[in-house]
Amino acid sequence: MTIDSTTLTQAPVAGPTPEPILRTARIVRLPRSPKVIAGLVILAVFGVVAIIGRWISPYSPNQTDPQNWVQHVLVPGTGPGTGFPANYYPLPFPPSSAHWLGTTVFAQDVLSQVLASTQATLFVGLLAAAIATCLSILFGVSAGYFGGGTDEVLSLVSNVFLAIPGLPLLIVLADYVPTAGSSIFLVAIIIAVTAWAYSSRVLRAQTLSLRNRDFVEAARVSGEGRIRIIVVELLPNLIPIVAASFLFTTLYAIYAYVAIAFLGLGGSPTSSPPGLWNWGEMLREGFANNAIRGGWWWWWAPPGLCVALLGTGLALLNFGIDEFINPRLRAAGLTRRAAKKAGIVSRAKLGMTPVAAHHAQAVSRSQAGITASREVGPEPVLEIRGLCVDYGYGEEAVHAVVDCDLVLRRGRVLGLAGESGSGKTTLALAAIRLLRSPAVITDGQVLFHSKPVGGEGPSGTIDMLAADADTLRAVRWSEISVVLQSSMNALNPVISIGAQFDDMLRVHRPHLSRTARHEMSGAMLELVGINPDRLRSYAHELSGGMRQRAMIAMALALEPQVMILDEPTTALDVVTQREILEELIGLRDRLGFAALFITHDLSLLVEIADEIAVMYAGRLMERAPAAALFNAPRLPYTHGLIHCFPPMHGQRSRMDGIPGSPPDLRALPKGCAFNPRCAWALDQCRHDVPHLAPLNGSAREVACWLHRGDAKVPAELARPDPVIVAERGSVAPPGNLARPPHEVGR
Amino acid sequence: MRALLRRLGVYVLAAWVAITVSFLLPRVVPGNPVAGAVARASQSGNCNSQCVIAVEEQLGYNTHTSVWEQYVSYIGNLAHGDLGHSWSENAPVGSLILSYLPWTLGLLVIATTVSFVAGTAIGVLMAWRRGSWFEFVLPVATFFQALPYFFLALVLVLIFGQTGTLLKWFPSLFGYDIYAVTPGANLPYVQSVLSHAILPAVTVILASVAGFILAMRNQMVTTMDEDFVVVAEAKGLRARTVIWYAARNALLPVISNFTIAISLVVAGQILVEIVFNYPGIGFHLFDALGKLDYSLVQGIFVVITLIVLAANLLADVVYVMIDPRARQAA
Repeated sequence: MTIDSTTLTQAPVAGPTPEPILRTARIVRLPRSPKVIAGLVILAVFGVVAIIGRWISPYSPNQTDPQNWVQHVLVPGTGPGTGFPANYYPLPFPPSSAHWLGTTVFAQDVLSQVLASTQATLFVGLLAAAIATCLSILFGVSAGYFGGGTDEVLSLVSNVFLAIPGLPLLIVLADYVPTAGSSIFLVAIIIAVTAWAYSSRVLRAQTLSLRNRDFVEAARVSGEGRIRIIVVELLPNLIPIVAASFLFTTLYAIYAYVAIAFLGLGGSPTSSPPGLWNWGEMLREGFANNAIRGGWWWWWAPPGLCVALLGTGLALLNFGIDEFINPRLRAAGLTRRAAKKAGIVSRAKLGMTPVAAHHAQAVSRSQAGITASREVGPEPVLEIRGLCVDYGYGEEAVHAVVDCDLVLRRGRVLGLAGESGSGKTTLALAAIRLLRSPAVITDGQVLFHSKPVGGEGPSGTIDMLAADADTLRAVRWSEISVVLQSSMNALNPVISIGAQFDDMLRVHRPHLSRTARHEMSGAMLELVGINPDRLRSYAHELSGGMRQRAMIAMALALEPQVMILDEPTTALDVVTQREILEELIGLRDRLGFAALFITHDLSLLVEIADEIAVMYAGRLMERAPAAALFNAPRLPYTHGLIHCFPPMHGQRSRMDGIPGSPPDLRALPKGCAFNPRCAWALDQCRHDVPHLAPLNGSAREVACWLHRGDAKVPAELARPDPVIVAERGSVAPPGNLARPPHEVGR
Repeated sequence: MRALLRRLGVYVLAAWVAITVSFLLPRVVPGNPVAGAVARASQSGNCNSQCVIAVEEQLGYNTHTSVWEQYVSYIGNLAHGDLGHSWSENAPVGSLILSYLPWTLGLLVIATTVSFVAGTAIGVLMAWRRGSWFEFVLPVATFFQALPYFFLALVLVLIFGQTGTLLKWFPSLFGYDIYAVTPGANLPYVQSVLSHAILPAVTVILASVAGFILAMRNQMVTTMDEDFVVVAEAKGLRARTVIWYAARNALLPVISNFTIAISLVVAGQILVEIVFNYPGIGFHLFDALGKLDYSLVQGIFVVITLIVLAANLLADVVYVMIDPRARQAA
C-alpha cells in the first residue's frame, strides 16, 4: 500500500500531464478489462456480505459455543512443578462442518465474526472516504479555481497535512478521544481528517489545468457565477479523478481502521460501551491470544485476507479509472496471444515496430515495382512499397496506412501532405519502424539503399522490415534521422543538450575522443546558428525555435542520407518557422541529404519540395511534382487543401477549405474515403475505392474516379500543368541537388 | 534554494501543527479524558496511583496554570530537547526514545532503500517488457500492495518464524536474543541483531515494494510515450541508454510522491514492530498506549513526525538534484 495511480501524480514541475478530459466525458466509462471486472465482482461480493451478513451468519459473533468447548491446554508456566495452580484454557477448533472457519479461543464462530465485521469495516471505509473526498474537493477545487492568496493558504494547509504521517496522528487522535472506540462515525471522521490531503493536492492540480480551458472561460465570460462554474463546469470533468481518489481513500481508510482496531483503539465488542466487530479487532484478538504461536491460522487469516482481497478489488478498479484518465496505460503491450493472432514473428520490442509474418509474401509481389521504376530522376534512396500499417490486432485493427508506395530520391525533398490523422506520420515512422505497439506493419516493403556519406555506417540495400535490431540501430540517425514536430518534448528534459549529442555520437562514432565529440557537437550547433556554449543548457532553457534548431543540428550531425521531418515547424511562430525552413533548405543544398517532409501546409511544401504526395485516410491519393500539384491539382481533396492556406507568395485567392471533418478510420465510408466531403463525387466514388494510377502519360498519379473513364473533369481540376515541371523531370541528372521550384531565401 | 527553503518552511509548520494538535487535543476533548483513560487502564490493571498523577499532569488536569502557560512551557521544553518524563519507565522520554530510535531507523532505512531500489527497478523492467510474462507481476503486486503490513508480518511469522509453527527458520521475537547475548560490540550480539532483523525487514520490504513497482511501472509506461524516448530510439541509442532516458524522467514524479510512500511505510513499520516485539519506537508506542504513558506517546509521535518530515526533505533535495528545471527554480 503505497502510492496509487500515476496519473494522479501531479509533480510540481515535472511529469507528464494527464490526457485532456473532454467536456463531454462526464461519465467514467471504464475500459472493460478483466482487471476492472474482477475488481467490480470483488467489491460486489463484499457489498452484499456487508448488507446481508447479519442474517446469513450461522451464530452470533459474540456467542460462545460451550458444546464444542471441550479441548483444553495447560497454560505454560502453570500446573505441577511451577508453583502455580494448573490453569487450562480452551483450544480453538479448526474448520469443521459446524464451524466452517473454525472457532476462536473463546469458542466463538469465526465465520460469523467475519460476516459481522464486514459491515462495520466497509461502512467506516466508505464513510471516511466520503468525508475525506468532500474535504479534498472543498480544499483542492477552491484552491485551484480561486488561485492567488486562497490557493496559497489552502495549499499550505493540505501540504502540512500531507507531510504529517497519517497513522501516528490517527493513533494519537483515537487515543485521546475516549469515546472514539464506540462510535464508528467518530472513527470515520478522525480517519477522514488524516486522509484528505493527498486527493486535495491532485484535485487542485487538475482544477488549475481545467481553469483556463475554453469552456470554463466561456462560462466566465457569459457571466456565470463562480459557484455555478465550479459545480456545473468543473466538477463533472473532475469525476474520474474524484472517483479514483475516493477509491484510494476508501482503501486507506479501511487499512487505517483495521490498524487502529489492531492497536486496540477501535473499541472492543465485549467492552462497554461495546465497539463493533471489525476485521482489525479480530486480528487483534487473535494476535493477543497467541493465535500465531498456537498455529490457529483460521482465526486471524480470514480477516487479514478479507482486507487484502477488498484492497485488491479497490486497486483493480482504480487501475480501470487510471486507464480511463491516462489512455497510455491502456494501450497494453503486444501480448503473446495478440501477437500470435496477428501473425507476428518477431517479439515485440520497444522501438522496433513488429512486422506481421505474412509480409514476406508481399516482398515478391512488390519486387516488380522496384525494377520498373516509373519515374526518372536521381536514384532512389528510400523505397516504400505497398506499406500497410494497422493499429491493433485482428478484428479490432484500424488500418492507418493502406498500400502506400513512396520513393525518396537521393538529395531530393519529398513532401507528404494531408490533414491530421491521415496517416502521414504513421507512414513515415513505420518505414523506419519507430511506431509503438499496438502498431503492426501488416504488409509491404521498405528498402533503404545506403551509401554512407562519410564512409561509416552500413552500406548496400537494407530491407528495413526484415532488419534486426542491431542493423536498425546502426541505420538510425547515422543514415536516417528524424525531426519531430514538437521539439519541446523531443529533447530529454533532465540531460543537457551536450550530453544528448554525446550519447548519440558515442554510439555511432565510437572512435571519436571525448573532446572530438564535444567539438563536433559545438560545430553542429554553430551550423544552425546556436552558440556552442548552449551545449551546457537544458531543454527548458532554450526557446522553442532554438530547441528545434538544436534537434536539427543533432539530426544532421552524422551526415545522414535521409532526414524525416515530421511537421518540423508547425509548433513554432511564423517568423521562426520561416527562419528554420530557410536554414533547412540551405543545409539541404550544402549537405545533400534527401528529406521526407511531412506537413499539412501545402503552400509551405511547394516552396521546398521537389515532389508532393497527398494522403487521405491512410491512402496516397495524389502524387506529382510540387509545382504541378500545387498549381494544377487533379484531386478534389488536394484542391481543397490548397485553398485552406493562403499562399506565401503570389496572387490572393479565395480560401474555401474543405467541408466536413477528417474521417474516422474505424468507420470509413464505402468507396473513396473522401466522397462525403467531395463536391464532385460520382456514383462510382460511393462504391469503389480508387487506386493511385498514372494520369495519361505525365509524371503524376492520382487516385480519383473523376480522371478515369469518361467522367467530365471539373475545370478546377483540369488546369494545365506548369511548364517548368516537364523540364525538371528530364533535365535534372541523377544525384544533382535540384533547387526547389520556388527559391526561398538565401 | 528558494524552493527548498519553502519546503522546509512547510515542514516546520507541519511539525508545529503536529505538536500542537497532540498537546491541545486532550485539553479540548469534551468530557473528562483523564477519568475515562484511567478507568480504562485500571480495568486492565495497568494504572496505579502514580500513573493517575502522571496522566493528570500530562493532560493538564488539577494543574493551576492556564492552557496557554502549559503550552508555552511545553514548547519551551521541546525546544531544549526535553520531551517530558515517562512514568512507566521512570526515565526522561528523550533518552528513552534515543535508545529506541536505532532499531527503528535501522530497519526503516534498510528496508525502504531495498524496497525503493528493487521496486523501481522491477517497475522499469515491467514497463520495458510490456506484454511479456513479466506482466504477471502486476496482479501479484496489486495483491501484495493490498496486504496490511501487520497481516503480512503475522503470515511470515507463522511460516518462517521461530514463534510460528511451520519452518521455524528465523527468530521472530525481540530485536536480539535477550536470553543468550549481552548487548555490546561483540560478535554474537551483532549476529543476533542481524538475524532478528531479517523477518521484520522482509515484511516491510515485501509490503512496500509493490507500491513502488506499480508507481514506477505506470510512470514509466507514460514516460515511454514521450517524444524524447521515441527520439532516443530514432537515434539508435542502445536499449539501456533509452531505458535510462525514460527511467530518469519517470523517477521524478515517484520521488515527488515519496511523501505518501514514506508515511505509509512508517505507519506499516509501527505495526510490524508490534507483531515482532521489535524494540523500536513503534513497539514502545503501543506499549505506552497500553500503560497510558502519555508523555511517551506524545514524544514518540513528535519524533515519528520529525523522521517523516526529514525523509520528505531528503526526497525534495534528491528531486532538485536530478531535475535541472527544479534546480533552476530552487
